[in-house]
Amino acid sequence: MTLYRLLLLAFPKKSRREFGDDMEQMFAAQAREAKASGASMVRFWVDAFADALWHGGLERSTELAAAISRFVDAARRWRWWMQALRQDLRYAARLMMRTPGATSIALLTLAIGIGANAAIFSAVDALLLRPLPYEDPDRLVMIWEKRIAEGGVTNVVAPADYLDWSRMTTSFESMAGVASGTADLTGAGEPVRLFSASVSPAFFDVLRVRMKLGRTFRVDEAAMGRNRVAILGHGLWQRRFDGDPAAIGRKIVLSGNPHEIVGVLPQTFDYPDSAIEIWTPLALEGGSQPPSRGNHFLSVYARLNDGVTPDQARAEMDRLSAMLSEQYPESNRTHRAAVVPLRDELVGPVRTSLLLLLAAVGFVLLIACVNVANLLLARAAARRREIAIRAALGAGRARLARQALTESLLLAVLGGVAGLLVARWGTGVLQQIAPRNVPILGLQRIGIDPRVLLYSFGLSLVTGVVFGLLPAWHFASQGLSDALKDGARSRGGLRRRLRASLVVSEIALASLLLVGAGLSLRSFQTVLRTDAGISTHGLLTTLITLPQARYQGDERHAATFQRIEERFKAIPGVKSVGATIALPLTSQDGRRSLEIEGVPSTAEAPTRAHPRGVTVDYFRTMSMQLVSGRTLAVTDRRDAPLVAVVNETMARRYWPGTSPIGRRVRLFDSGWREIVGVVRDVRHWGLERPVNPEMYCPMVQLPFPFMTFVFATDGDPASLTPAVRNALHEIDPDLPLSNVRTMDEVLAISMASRSAAMSVLATFGVVALILAAAGIYGVMSHLVSLRTGEIGVRMTMGARRAEIMRLILGEGLLQAIVGLAIGLAAAVLLMRSFQALLYEVSPADPVTLSAVAGVLIATALLACVVPARRAMNVDPVTALRQ
Amino acid sequence: MSAAPSRAAAAHVPLKPLVFQVLLALAGGDRHGWSLVREVQQRGGFERIMPGNFYRTLRAMLADGLIESSPRRTREDDERRRYFRLTALGAQVAAAEARRLEAAVMEARAKRLIARVRS
Repeated sequence: MTLYRLLLLAFPKKSRREFGDDMEQMFAAQAREAKASGASMVRFWVDAFADALWHGGLERSTELAAAISRFVDAARRWRWWMQALRQDLRYAARLMMRTPGATSIALLTLAIGIGANAAIFSAVDALLLRPLPYEDPDRLVMIWEKRIAEGGVTNVVAPADYLDWSRMTTSFESMAGVASGTADLTGAGEPVRLFSASVSPAFFDVLRVRMKLGRTFRVDEAAMGRNRVAILGHGLWQRRFDGDPAAIGRKIVLSGNPHEIVGVLPQTFDYPDSAIEIWTPLALEGGSQPPSRGNHFLSVYARLNDGVTPDQARAEMDRLSAMLSEQYPESNRTHRAAVVPLRDELVGPVRTSLLLLLAAVGFVLLIACVNVANLLLARAAARRREIAIRAALGAGRARLARQALTESLLLAVLGGVAGLLVARWGTGVLQQIAPRNVPILGLQRIGIDPRVLLYSFGLSLVTGVVFGLLPAWHFASQGLSDALKDGARSRGGLRRRLRASLVVSEIALASLLLVGAGLSLRSFQTVLRTDAGISTHGLLTTLITLPQARYQGDERHAATFQRIEERFKAIPGVKSVGATIALPLTSQDGRRSLEIEGVPSTAEAPTRAHPRGVTVDYFRTMSMQLVSGRTLAVTDRRDAPLVAVVNETMARRYWPGTSPIGRRVRLFDSGWREIVGVVRDVRHWGLERPVNPEMYCPMVQLPFPFMTFVFATDGDPASLTPAVRNALHEIDPDLPLSNVRTMDEVLAISMASRSAAMSVLATFGVVALILAAAGIYGVMSHLVSLRTGEIGVRMTMGARRAEIMRLILGEGLLQAIVGLAIGLAAAVLLMRSFQALLYEVSPADPVTLSAVAGVLIATALLACVVPARRAMNVDPVTALRQ
Repeated sequence: MSAAPSRAAAAHVPLKPLVFQVLLALAGGDRHGWSLVREVQQRGGFERIMPGNFYRTLRAMLADGLIESSPRRTREDDERRRYFRLTALGAQVAAAEARRLEAAVMEARAKRLIARVRS
């Protein structure tokens, strides 16, 4: 009966679904009956047709009517709401204008609270929440080597291991090694030193980069001799080649070797180390020697195959490492491979600090909320009579509460808008103080974008509700009759206790923040007080690298650096000049295996040290202290017996209890070297990092093609720069100076992460303290004004002024102590989860805790003094008359 | 006599004849659509009841809460058949309508339009 089914289309879908089958059945039965009775089938069909159209149409119109009336209802309700809202808003705006002082204080408070939150959120969003700026970023991992004996400390990878991995694994779609360094660019304007990276051709596939121009590296270019091609970073292309597409194919000279430009990276390409501007193929094979297994210098990036989890990849890499360590026990038994998701690798270093800051701004905002709530409560109290009259005229409790809430929401949204200005400024500051010595991906994305706007708006609404609830509840619960009866006086102790709890919570929140700021300040101080082993004052440093093409061979390197040093000594104002291959507080160099006479090297305790080529005057220039023996001398020439000076850590580790002087050690392929002296430890990896065994060798006996020169001067070290540059150009006009910095700057850079986190936290701490002081002042003033009558009575009963003062101060003090107890306990608990950010300071550091307690109690008392003085000067007669 | 009809029931009166007939039929027990149609038709007074009309009426009655779907099924029943039963409101409404008709009949008798019955 499909024809009838068609007829049923006249009915709305809902009825069809409900009764369509029944109707069809009924129609079929009727048709059978009609046929049996011999009735006219034409008539039967006409009836059926009319019935379906008519009743279907009726049902459809009923449905339509229902929908229309629903819509009209909704529209009416909406209009009523909007009208009420407009009324509420207008009323709230009028109220805000009537008390411009209180309103602007509230707005300022909110702007600071919301703005600081928006700024920190924008950093959290850009650095932690956003996906990494690569395609399918969850499949990206980094592979390190982890040293089994040292609790799994990760280390860069040896080229032979990387090559084996990339050939043997099945977990990864692609894998690439990266070795970063520097390159001198000549043949395109002024010679310049650039940060560079040599990468396997697969690198751009791993990160899925599409070139702006040209191509990526070909597989055959990853071999010595054929790797003379380069890819430009977008910035370099713009700066040096004017963004000219014809740069592709041009020849440039990189560190003395001709290279052809084959590609330009897109502007959107984001690499963790944003300083790198030029990329060349990583050539590990095809040289005179096989790829090294003992020399670790590669960072390895890899992209997991679709559907392979990091854990599966880890399992495979474990098997592979075990195999390799069996095959090459000499070099591989001490380490395994470690697979780390790229996200963890990049986000890890900043996550804890950012979360701490997020918690801190949260507390700042809470204090702001408490302040504004208190302000609104005070205003509500002043409006008791007005509210009572409105209630008497028929305003329901819900309506009054809604009015109060509208008022606070309006305040919060306006505060949020003002907060965006604070946030704009704040994100700029954050970008500026962000540490430059650790790669942070996404730093330039910190700023006000739609997500931050949305967050701030949402935060404003939440804030408005949080601080608006108290006054709203206050309105809704207000007894109508007693408000009218005694307009001025507060209802019993409840309100007072409420206000006291506001003071307590402000103190608690402020102490929480101050403890956080205090502990990070103490950590900072502790780090700063760490003995670096050198004096950083009055020193200028600069790195000089000899390009391989023009300066070849150890002898040539040694001779050139000696000439340079001699010339530098003649610069007026220079007290002494020294040079080292590894500047303290910056180095990240690898250790070398070392043969030590009489000390066996085992898998568990391999004998290793960091060799450092230094010039004779380096020790004096850096004010390093000699512990025993002698430092290096001019007589330790290239052809003289090999000598070395070791640091105390090395002396203690390999010759515990005895003097190392006169003992002999041997570095890789060179001959035996006699130890002639021991110097104090110097922090090469940063003040917070432990010191490893180190060994200083005469530069002439252990030459490298690069050295960092250090100049000691009595004057401003930075002012030496032009003279140094001129002196260098007298020797070779094509040698660039790079990393020109005073040693104090080097120290500051090495502490940048810590000082950035500390200064932001300290700022929040001070803001919190000011807000809390203002809040306490507000509450206490209000309490005093509420108690004017009571104070009057006390004074007539013979209370002296000093007693009144003591009464008010005592109350403030009590609240401060309760707040402190809560806040300090919470702070100690909270800071435990941020212990990683502390340096040799306990979360319960008594100095910090007592300092915070002292500051807060003093602040609280100070905030109480003015209201207390007002109470003291209450005139009993006027007070009683009120 | 049952209690006076509630105000809710009174609002539905007078009923359309088809509605009243459906209520009467359901007062005798739960029925499915087709058997309701038969019974109403057998009771007479109706020409052919058309499916569109009938099911629109049923939908309106369901919406007004006079009847409801019944879970009852006999074993040999067609799976798709839906059963209906009277709601409490439906019963009250039917009673109210019956009382209204009764009053009309009584008035007709009083005015001798039809013969009195012997009591």
